[in-house]
Amino acid sequence: MVKDYYDIRAVFKKTGRAIYISHLDLMRVMQRTFKRAKLPVWFTKGYNPHVYLMFSLPLSLGVSSDCELMDFGVDMSAGEPDYEDIKVRLNKALPEGLEIVTLYEPKTKHTEIGACEYTLEFYGDRSADDVLSLFNSFMAQDEILIEKRCKVNMKKTVVTIDIKPDINVLESRDSDGHAYISLRLPAGIKHSLNIVSVSTAFETFCGFEFDKICINRTKILTESGDIFS
Amino acid sequence: MLKTKIEKLALRSNKPSRYIGGEVGSVVKDKSKIDVRFAFCFPDTYEVGMSHLGMKILYGLKNQRENFWCERVFAPDKDFEKLMRENDIPLYALESLDPIKEFDFIGFTMQYELSYTNVLNMLDLAGLNVRASERSETDPIVVAGGPCVCNPEPLAEFFDLFILGEGEEVNLELMDLYAEMKKLGKSKSEFLAEASEIEGIYVPKFYDVAYNPDGTVKSVIPHSGAPMPIKKRIIKDFDKVYYPDSFVVPFTDIVHDRAVVEVLRGCIRGCRFCQAGYIYRPFREKSVDTIARQTKALCEQTGYEEVSLSSLSTSDHPEIEELLSKLVDYTESEKVSLSLPSLRVDNFSEEILEKINRVRKSGLTFAAEAGTQRLRDVINKNISEEEILSTCKLAFIGGYSTVKLYFMMGHPTETDEDILGIVALVRKISDLFYEINRGTKGKFLSISVSVATFVPKPFTPFEFEPQITSETVKHRHDLLTQSFKSKHIKLSYHDYRVSLLEAVLARGDRRTSEAIYKAWKKGCTFDGWTEHFNFDNWVEAFKECGLDMEFYACRKREYDEVMPWDHLDYYISKRFLISENKKAHEAITTPNCAQKCSGCGVKKECGGTYCGKGLL
Ligand code: SF4
Repeated sequence: MVKDYYDIRAVFKKTGRAIYISHLDLMRVMQRTFKRAKLPVWFTKGYNPHVYLMFSLPLSLGVSSDCELMDFGVDMSAGEPDYEDIKVRLNKALPEGLEIVTLYEPKTKHTEIGACEYTLEFYGDRSADDVLSLFNSFMAQDEILIEKRCKVNMKKTVVTIDIKPDINVLESRDSDGHAYISLRLPAGIKHSLNIVSVSTAFETFCGFEFDKICINRTKILTESGDIFS
Repeated sequence: MLKTKIEKLALRSNKPSRYIGGEVGSVVKDKSKIDVRFAFCFPDTYEVGMSHLGMKILYGLKNQRENFWCERVFAPDKDFEKLMRENDIPLYALESLDPIKEFDFIGFTMQYELSYTNVLNMLDLAGLNVRASERSETDPIVVAGGPCVCNPEPLAEFFDLFILGEGEEVNLELMDLYAEMKKLGKSKSEFLAEASEIEGIYVPKFYDVAYNPDGTVKSVIPHSGAPMPIKKRIIKDFDKVYYPDSFVVPFTDIVHDRAVVEVLRGCIRGCRFCQAGYIYRPFREKSVDTIARQTKALCEQTGYEEVSLSSLSTSDHPEIEELLSKLVDYTESEKVSLSLPSLRVDNFSEEILEKINRVRKSGLTFAAEAGTQRLRDVINKNISEEEILSTCKLAFIGGYSTVKLYFMMGHPTETDEDILGIVALVRKISDLFYEINRGTKGKFLSISVSVATFVPKPFTPFEFEPQITSETVKHRHDLLTQSFKSKHIKLSYHDYRVSLLEAVLARGDRRTSEAIYKAWKKGCTFDGWTEHFNFDNWVEAFKECGLDMEFYACRKREYDEVMPWDHLDYYISKRFLISENKKAHEAITTPNCAQKCSGCGVKKECGGTYCGKGLL
């Protein structure tokens, strides 16, 4: 079949109340946004046509992001896409907390995603120094074991894995009285580590709960370390 | 801060987006500029409440007014309720995340008797006393509306006032009055006295109920100059009534996740068991243009991929063909799917049928309600065996191989023979199928037969009738179960105990308030959810109050008995209900409103399409 749409990749933020939107629900949210924005968006063909949408990496519930990716198509019949116009219209139609940052023609395939960077900010009774030194001892362990649910030979099981080698600490400091840490974790189809597994493992290590941990995804990178685009 | 606490705990709950607001279409205002804040509570989960049309209408209506702010509140699921209680989070509204205890009004919509305990639980979660008499002058005014408040007596203890009938006008009148009196520094009791003068407002504490030695109601007497009877409200110009052009579009999947347009209100049919058919009278429809305009506006604002039409019986719209034709054209061009509930298609033209069939995906469903023609005449259910069979025939020829049938058990005058009538009907449908598909190997008809227990309701011709007893239910269930042996026939029953409780609460009096309170204290909430229903707690609660459930559910009332709701005027006259009841016992049907007005008591001035027509 002749391709009758232009590919567009959107980079969008997911913050505020939008961090409670699950990955599954995000699909629906975006489909309805396209309808409200009245864009000549491309529909899949067939008995039950729906807006074609593709998200690159799932984001855990409760984690915010500056750099989520979504691919969609616009009908060629509507002419060359006007990125600025599409952005304005989508942003008007999006719910609070979701915002298109930029749109462009995709250059890289999703399979080339290799890593993500995150920042974590810890709020609670403990001083920033306390938390940072706890984090240092957390990282100084020989191994950091977590339990991971997975399927082995079609059977659901729980396996214990060491995540320490996958945690790459980029920065850790005191930011306005609370601890601020930034990390790089593997991501993509070959190998990945969920940031929430890391923060949960750290909380378990601490033996207490923080009032709040703000986690933000800041970058999606290719295997060679470039910004994925 | 409350917001931080909610945000953190929401993440530990199942589907947190239900507890945090922020949906497209939700209305956030600057509270310093607001005169009246209204917490609209739905006594069930987010998924159920967000699917409810009445709430969407009243939410939009109130928020259209600059000085009012209406917010949404739902019953938290048990997991989140536990977290809320453990962490001192009071019940809050989704738009502002403010505790509803700070609001001017807390309003509940009562759609189902089995949500009563949720009301108590939500008031308690809000940090309020559940009994109106124990709340202070500074606590919010707690109000309720919806179909269940046509007998509000079992809830009388818990509410300051009830809103009877249709809410589009009276809600605004009530809030305007409140705004005015608040400015003048008037007290809650002064407000309630004034409010009771508004048509459609019932303030239960201004009425004293006395009982006879046998437990029936002796009298209901107003004091403090309160009106008698209290009339329900009706929207006279239904075509012009407010309808929202925007809905709150949820993030998470809800029960009915789509745009909905109300096409008509009331019902012409007069099925004698159906409360909605009487309390929403008279029948009024919107014009095709209005419906088309509202459909377009809603689809554009929400971005929904599906729209459906809401009414008690859409096929009865006087211009149904034109309506469907217009809507099919619009929805097809916009790639929106139009979902049509089961329509009576008997009189449709070829052209329109072809159009509808392009979009219709729903299966073959019949609410036959009773197994024999005699019993269908008793209940005035206007569907005949020939109609069912001829519709099935067309569908089977078209390739359908599933049929759903709905029945009720326990109608007045029902005998075992009527139950066997269900079996006979199913057999005929099945024979028809195999006759049409003769020679086609491996093709089976799957029939699902769902049997509910009839619950007699106020303001229907059956309000006098006893509910069937548990022994009879058991006997008739056995009879049915033994008659159906094929694995292609799926037979399902509703839990009789749920219907019994529904019957008790539907026709209860003020004394049943105490039993509801006790049941809630024992831990009953979400009684309508099978997994949470605890019948034993209810039995104990009634026993402790010295009340007999059977007295309310299974007792026949004489025509001259004072019903607990007789001081409310829903326009249906007692004379009419008695005459319909007598006709039922003789299996005589009554024509529908479109064929001939039966003079049920609804006044011509109420705007009904057919009222007074054919009457001399
Ligand atoms: S007054 Fe007549 S037409 Fe109107 S609802 Fe009653 S029976 Fe029907």
